[in-house]
Amino acid sequence: MKIDKFKLALLPITTVVFGIFLLMLIVYVSQSIPIFKKEGLAIYTTNVWKASETGEEFYGVLAAIYGSVYTSVIAVLIALPLSIGFAVFVVDYAPKKLKEPLIVATDVMAGLPTILYGIWGAFVLVPLLKRFVMEPLYEHFSFIPLFSYPPITGYSYLSAGVLLAIMVTPFASAIIREAYRMVPRVYREGAYALGLTRFEATKVLLGYIKPAILSGFLLAFGRAIGETVAVSLVVGNTFNINPSLFAPGYTISSLIANQFGNAFIYNYMPSALFAAGLALFVIGLVINVAGLIMLRRWSHAKV
Amino acid sequence: MNAIETENLKVWYGDKLVIKGVNLEIPEKTVFAIMGPSGCGKSTLLRAFNRLLELNEIARVEGDVKLYGKSVYEMDEVVVRRKIGMVFQIPNPFPHMSIYDNIALGVRYNKIAKNRKEIDKIVEWSLKKAALWEEVKDRLKDKASNLSGGQMQRLCIARALALRPEVLLMDEPTANLDPVSAKKIEELIFELKKELTIVIVTHSPAQAARVSDYVAFLYLGELVEVGKTEEIFEKPKNELTEKYLTGRMG
Ligand SMILES: Nc1ncnc2c1ncn2[C@@H]1O[C@H](COP(=O)(O)OP(=O)(O)OP(=O)(O)O)[C@@H](O)[C@H]1O
Ligand SMILES: [Mg+2]
Repeated sequence: MKIDKFKLALLPITTVVFGIFLLMLIVYVSQSIPIFKKEGLAIYTTNVWKASETGEEFYGVLAAIYGSVYTSVIAVLIALPLSIGFAVFVVDYAPKKLKEPLIVATDVMAGLPTILYGIWGAFVLVPLLKRFVMEPLYEHFSFIPLFSYPPITGYSYLSAGVLLAIMVTPFASAIIREAYRMVPRVYREGAYALGLTRFEATKVLLGYIKPAILSGFLLAFGRAIGETVAVSLVVGNTFNINPSLFAPGYTISSLIANQFGNAFIYNYMPSALFAAGLALFVIGLVINVAGLIMLRRWSHAKV
Repeated sequence: MNAIETENLKVWYGDKLVIKGVNLEIPEKTVFAIMGPSGCGKSTLLRAFNRLLELNEIARVEGDVKLYGKSVYEMDEVVVRRKIGMVFQIPNPFPHMSIYDNIALGVRYNKIAKNRKEIDKIVEWSLKKAALWEEVKDRLKDKASNLSGGQMQRLCIARALALRPEVLLMDEPTANLDPVSAKKIEELIFELKKELTIVIVTHSPAQAARVSDYVAFLYLGELVEVGKTEEIFEKPKNELTEKYLTGRMG
């Protein structure tokens, strides 16, 4: 067997990274054990938050898990068409001089500190959504469960989802854009040579990069579900499981961020928060790994 | 009647002139071969015929290309590309689509068939024309990427034929194929010229001699010599042509 020296040199680094990762996982698991011993799976399947310094404590983070998934799904559903549209625009339609500035601008947006999005979201986005989206929809369509919650404050799943969509769109769009840009010239020419219009050719070529779009979707979901600061500023932070878009709720990360400061005066709250973190860890890991595998498999198959 | 005529055709990439005023007449229902050393502008010339150059932001065209007497630059580009089909050097069926859909795609979008039944018929007809039907008739739903290189190229010919083009452009269609597949395509060219005009770019003088009725020799973007294939192969008038045909120039 031939030994690749470069790979050998990278081995210690790989080991360290993997080791840190493993240690983290161990910390999360071991810190969660007390709450598991006390409640079993009820920590994940119930929606209770009974914190008490003296009496009985009970924690169930279902509302946060629900909120995390719900807001991320909203985010991705909004972000996907936006990011596909934007990617196609940049590659096919934007004037040559505008292309690079647009790409740089989106990459900068993708890297901005998320607190900036959070503050903007809380002060600008939420009032706008409340005034121009939630109130009209509630007024006319409140018989539909999705729109059935009165938008009193505007802090809600929808606000969090829209804000997250705005935050992950540059990122998802970059993945899709790169894949779309890499479509071999022969396929692009082949589509047009068959007498397809620009719109039709674009549809065909997007079909060609579908696996990349799907992984962009998954990775964006992974980002959305892990986002903390911005979400906690607009989601309402309420233990609530409600199908309505306009209801306030919690997400796992906003729950941890909000409760961690005072968690240590309670016996079981730290453990409950670690268990919540573990859930996030697992969801995030599965989604990201799936997305990355898909992206890699796709780019390898094409080269 | 000429299927294609060019009038003082010039093409620039940026400010580099690569086709330097070409006047060409391609008679209908013939096989017209374009030869010349690498980089002399053969692919560029073909792409000026079906306006594919417009995909390239830096390409600029001057002069005219006429399809049966009508300027392609005054027609809708989608119509031009339907009437002038193209097969490329690298077989390029869409790998994520089935064999069937690769052909049905252009048929559907160009509204050539009204319903599923008509599309089925056209798919079968064009696969037969491209001598591929027998090999794939039981696996039309298979991904096109599962075909061999030679089969892929015939699929590309089939999907171009499905649009009933008047002219078929072939840019080195056998350059990436094994000799057996190449021979099949050459036989196909022979059959097809009964119904349409074929413009083929080739690097192989032997292939040009086998399949073509006319040869044009292009050198650094200029037309050096045009004529009946046998005449040019027998006694080329131009020194460059002779050098190329006898293999003393790459
Ligand atoms: N997209 C492009 N941008 C800029 N220059 C180009 C482009 N495509 C081709 N050229 C240049 O134009 C000239 C003609 O290229 P073209 O591809 O038409 O040659 P060709 O005769 O088909 O060559 P080959 O036999 O190698 O395929 C070459 O000098 C090439 O470098
Ligand atoms: Mg070429």
